[in-house]
Amino acid sequence: MTRVDNDSEEKAPARAWALGTAGWFVPGLGHLLQGRFVRGLLLGGAVWICFIAGLWMGGHLFTVGANEQGTSVLLQVPPMIANLGSGLLYVGAWFLGIGFADDPVHAARATYEYGTTFLLIAGLLNYLCMLDAFDISAGRKS
Amino acid sequence: MRHFLVMTAFALAAAVVFGTVAKDTNRDRVLYGLKVFAEFLVIGLVLGWILYFLPF
Repeated sequence: MTRVDNDSEEKAPARAWALGTAGWFVPGLGHLLQGRFVRGLLLGGAVWICFIAGLWMGGHLFTVGANEQGTSVLLQVPPMIANLGSGLLYVGAWFLGIGFADDPVHAARATYEYGTTFLLIAGLLNYLCMLDAFDISAGRKS
Repeated sequence: MRHFLVMTAFALAAAVVFGTVAKDTNRDRVLYGLKVFAEFLVIGLVLGWILYFLPF
């Protein structure tokens, strides 16, 4: 049986939490603030391109609204969490009212499903980027 | 053709992030990114052909 050494566990510094949050809110910012410019541009660029391409293709951003009834609200929660990973991009789209339309005209576009997938993937990839920025700042990763 | 281009764009974005996040040296990152990119494309094409023959 392996003995767990609790003394070796280190708490992550507040800076790591701040940079992780910055990386979530603005994709790529967590790395840029640490001077990891190439990494930040690659990761942030991939997320931004995914999100913009998703909107351009007419994708749908999920939210828990008043339109759903009963337990169908729960079906909106997982994709909304994925969309929320885009941080400021999701909030900005919400303020501008872009991508939240839920009508047959939007859904009839040939690229609607592709766009929705791109928007989901942008958020999920940004969660990975956020964790990477956190780990680098906490010294767990080079 | 458009479907393939969209799938390629998706594979590229995912491969860039996976490759950058997963490995420690630049050589390993590039190799892993290329591997992920190729896997997405090949698996996507294989799944596309399998679904093509399904009658529903």
